[in-house]
Amino acid sequence: MSQVRALWAVGTVLLAAAGASTDRSWAAVRPCIPELGPRQLELGAGQGVMLGVLGGLRTVMADVSWLRSYVLWERKDQAGSEALMRLACTLDPHARYFWEQTGFAVGLDMANWEIRRRGGYAKLPKEIQDHLFTTYARKAIAILDEGARVSRSRAPLLIVAGQLAEMKLKDLRLAAAYYRTAAECDDAPWYAARFSARTLWGAGDRREAYDWFKAHWLSTLRIRYQDKAPDDLAEIRMMEDALLLPLAVRVPRQPWER
Amino acid sequence: MQSMRRIFWIARITFLEAVRQRLFSFLLLLGAALAGSSVAFRFLNFGQGELKFVADFGFGIMFLFGSLLAVVMMAQLLFAELDNRTAMTLLAKPLGRSEFLLGKFLGVWAVMAVFVLLLCAVLGAVLLSRASELAALAEEAGRTAPVVDGGGLVVFAVLQWLRLGVVSAMTLLVSAGARTFLFSVVAGMLAVLGGQLQWLAQDLLAKDDAGVFQRSLAWFATRAVPNLQQFNIGDALVLDPASVPPGAPSAAILSGFLHLTAFVVIACALFRRREI
Repeated sequence: MSQVRALWAVGTVLLAAAGASTDRSWAAVRPCIPELGPRQLELGAGQGVMLGVLGGLRTVMADVSWLRSYVLWERKDQAGSEALMRLACTLDPHARYFWEQTGFAVGLDMANWEIRRRGGYAKLPKEIQDHLFTTYARKAIAILDEGARVSRSRAPLLIVAGQLAEMKLKDLRLAAAYYRTAAECDDAPWYAARFSARTLWGAGDRREAYDWFKAHWLSTLRIRYQDKAPDDLAEIRMMEDALLLPLAVRVPRQPWER
Repeated sequence: MQSMRRIFWIARITFLEAVRQRLFSFLLLLGAALAGSSVAFRFLNFGQGELKFVADFGFGIMFLFGSLLAVVMMAQLLFAELDNRTAMTLLAKPLGRSEFLLGKFLGVWAVMAVFVLLLCAVLGAVLLSRASELAALAEEAGRTAPVVDGGGLVVFAVLQWLRLGVVSAMTLLVSAGARTFLFSVVAGMLAVLGGQLQWLAQDLLAKDDAGVFQRSLAWFATRAVPNLQQFNIGDALVLDPASVPPGAPSAAILSGFLHLTAFVVIACALFRRREI
């Protein structure tokens, strides 16, 4: 009997040590595993998320979920396709593709589907159509914001959010802010900065647009994207001319500039 | 020394008995075939790089089939001895109950080693061959070639083996006290599900505004149920080793080993008081 008690005691001590060790190891391992919280699980409950999480087949289940969302997208089933798209994003949150395409589908397609469902463009008043476009665009931007927080490729998602803000919300300042954040990311494409400057310029904040574009060109663009630097500088020169800036505040003349 | 020899003999017999079973051959062949053909499923891939899809597919198959094998084989091999009364004959000889149980566990764990080793070899071959093809394509296109880290695959194999060892140990613990094979299998599978979701319980229970009861429950859950998700870093180890913090695999190995040992020790304590 005493041996049994000794075994129980040893086992309990080992379990306590294992628990403490698990706390430490989980803290170290967790950043390597795509985040999946209780809220996301709730969103995707009953739709394959459990198999993905429990079976360790997250990427595969995300792809299967995306395929199923296509079927529903073709049927213009808004609720079904959105739920499955969000599920794919949940299961594989590092993948840019799912967030980007979900943003496009929600922001561009779903408002049109709803307008058609309510009777079509000719029947539905323009104000309601605008309201629907705005509502869905905001929803899509919220999805893209979430994606930009968790995806490994932020800049493209921020650019899509900027495009939606520009085209659907007609909010040029918000669009410029998204493009600017994208331009300041490590994975920024060369055109993000130009998008930001042009959009802000179009919104009326011309001096602010020029100041930021100039600073960004001097600090980043001319070093990182040397082949595109002349085009961007030409844009900057156009802004300088339009703002009638004195030579002292303009970008210094470059050796290769004609 | 004599005790070690007896444990080794039981483990050896258990191992030989296990590898002769059709379930083992079936799951091994099916797993290897699926892992080997994972490249053929790459057209299903949308979100990530092709190698990530292949790796995730292979690792998922390994865990799914491995867990099934660990639970069913552990319970089946123990209950076969008890139901056929061969355990009584064995235990009548100078063989302790703990030695018998330990031998059974080590035999099954050795089978898991074969399973993991073979599937990792197949998956490694698939990943390396596809990576070299993609590297050639990337070179032509002037892009960065994908990398497959063989060392990461070895570390993952160890982690996976340990995870299946923890699953086997949990099933052994249940079987040591259970009366029927079916109950052991169901409880074992539920324990696997619990282990996969343990971190979620932690998140829910150990919030900042959680009360003493919730925190105590979270503390108890971490001790009683192992966190099986912590072994789920195969794709990071193999495809993006730089993203894995230096001490993470060794911390997971230590934690898994402690849980495994604790379950086996408690199973021995339970089995000693069991009527056979």
